[in-house]
Amino acid sequence: MKTTVVGSYPKPKWLLRMIKLYNEGKIDDKVMNEAYDDAVRAVVKDHEVAGIDIIWDGEMRRDEMTSYFARKIDGFVIYGEVRVWGNNYYPKPAIVDELRYREPLTVHEFEFLRSITDREIKVPITGAYTIVDWSFNEFYKTKEEAVYALAEVINQELRNLVKAGASYIQLDEPAISTHPEELEIARNAVEIMTRGVNAYIGMHICYGDYSGIFPDILDFKVDQLDFEFANRNFEDLKLLKEYDFDKDLGFGCIDVHTKRVESVEEVRRAIEMALEVVDPKRLYIDPDCGLKLLPRDVAFKKLEVMVKAKNAVEREFGLT
Amino acid sequence: MIATVVGSYPRPKWFREYLKRIEGLQKDLDAEVDVEILKKAISEVIEKQREAGIDLMTDGQLIWHDFLATLATRIDGFVMDGLVRYFDNNLYYRKPIVKDRLRRKGDILWDFKLALEIERNVKPVLSCFTLAKLSKNEYYSNFEELLWDLGEIVKEEIRNLNVEFIQFDEPALLFASKGEIEIARDVFKEICKVNARTILMTYFRSAENIFPEVLDFGFDIIGLDFVEGFEANLKLAKEYGLEMINVGIVDARNTRMEDLNDLKAKLEKILEFAKEVYISPNAGLEFLPEVKAFEKMKLVSKLKEAFE
Repeated sequence: MKTTVVGSYPKPKWLLRMIKLYNEGKIDDKVMNEAYDDAVRAVVKDHEVAGIDIIWDGEMRRDEMTSYFARKIDGFVIYGEVRVWGNNYYPKPAIVDELRYREPLTVHEFEFLRSITDREIKVPITGAYTIVDWSFNEFYKTKEEAVYALAEVINQELRNLVKAGASYIQLDEPAISTHPEELEIARNAVEIMTRGVNAYIGMHICYGDYSGIFPDILDFKVDQLDFEFANRNFEDLKLLKEYDFDKDLGFGCIDVHTKRVESVEEVRRAIEMALEVVDPKRLYIDPDCGLKLLPRDVAFKKLEVMVKAKNAVEREFGLT
Repeated sequence: MIATVVGSYPRPKWFREYLKRIEGLQKDLDAEVDVEILKKAISEVIEKQREAGIDLMTDGQLIWHDFLATLATRIDGFVMDGLVRYFDNNLYYRKPIVKDRLRRKGDILWDFKLALEIERNVKPVLSCFTLAKLSKNEYYSNFEELLWDLGEIVKEEIRNLNVEFIQFDEPALLFASKGEIEIARDVFKEICKVNARTILMTYFRSAENIFPEVLDFGFDIIGLDFVEGFEANLKLAKEYGLEMINVGIVDARNTRMEDLNDLKAKLEKILEFAKEVYISPNAGLEFLPEVKAFEKMKLVSKLKEAFE
């Protein structure tokens, strides 16, 4: 049983100011990169102090989970922002040419993080299906073709990550559960992305009704499936029981949509429910999703509670 | 031939920032906007449409956070719930719940009336069936009662609008059962007794399931999606001899710019039987970044010019 994070963490306020200055052209690349490095150091310290076993850099360098990657891949352009809901917008990429690998998407993030911590590291990267689903497609005849082309690009990146020393990669595919009818495309994309990639592969899926993707999701060639459970009061554990869940489980047990910090006791009870479905060895405990929308002190407290709850369960079952 | 748009238009960037500032990003939206600021934003969007060559314009639905919330929050009896995906788009709406008898509490389309002060050639866009269908009914004993009450409120709202055209966007009709369509027919028959020309706009798929009933809804002009369902809708329009038709022909959900000749060839097939033709994108333009939304409108007007 190990604790981990899904990926993002609140950016320090000073970093947001630096990014603003950078966008206004008031500071140069060198200073900005130094700021990102320092922000990662701060986040890593938070994770270490909270006691997280497998960490990431809090996605300090990423502004958003689609366009951050699209900007680094040939074939994408970004015309502007579109709305997701209410006053929330994102820069929606458009595929205007053949998708090709150009530069590292996340290897540089991994290498820096490796140089400052001894903890185990998980590298999250948005999957091909989700990036295409959240982009316009002007170039490929079908969505399917676009997904597979992008999957090849990501495969290149994953191979490079392994060469750089990464051993645990997480594909973020929140769009999968919104299109159960295209599950086959997403499944094929996972096979392309992970072809020849010698690493432990997890897949994180959130925001959606999981009932549409079970049991087919169990056929995906990944070692671990990571779901949000706290957001819907752990009701989805029923699905896992119903369909003989046989993969490692990423168990989202902290609600990221509320500022209320859970009690150790309620998280402990949640972990016990998860243990009814999988063995402790196959259980990875994490928040429902990235923590970036929470205030930083709340995010930290939630991680602390999660670790305490996990320790309590281990003591209780004599697992340590 | 008349060049028009379906309804929504991307908010000007400064207006987006303004709303973010006064409302924040979370679910407690619908703050009171400064009417003068809203009016300035609407006039910018109307100017854009004029510049692109659109004949029959809209107010851009600039303070509509989603297609349902604006209407639902302006009618008593609804409360707003969690976010739900809007058809097959990466766009979400707050689900309205009918908790009490629906009652009119005042002007619904007050933001449209601001547009009317700026430009006479605008049409109001609202919905009745889609609002009822995508809401959760916790008060009425059945859907029919809900739709009739909502229909009454809508009818009252449009009675004194004093406009030439009134448009109903009803994508949910295309996903409705036969029983629901029959109820819709009776309710719309009442609503369409208004002193204006009425347009029914449908989109996101082809319209087989509303024919032939839709011919008796009372609408003057029926709008079909000729991007998502070209073949099927062409067949329907021909078979039932739609003479007054809104042709949603430019893709409002993809940034790819269509070839003008391809569009011409498609439209020619419709002109073989239609007499009064309105051409437009197939849905509201807010699915696109602003720069592309404008180009798509220009494409609509270029297509019209090609036939003049």
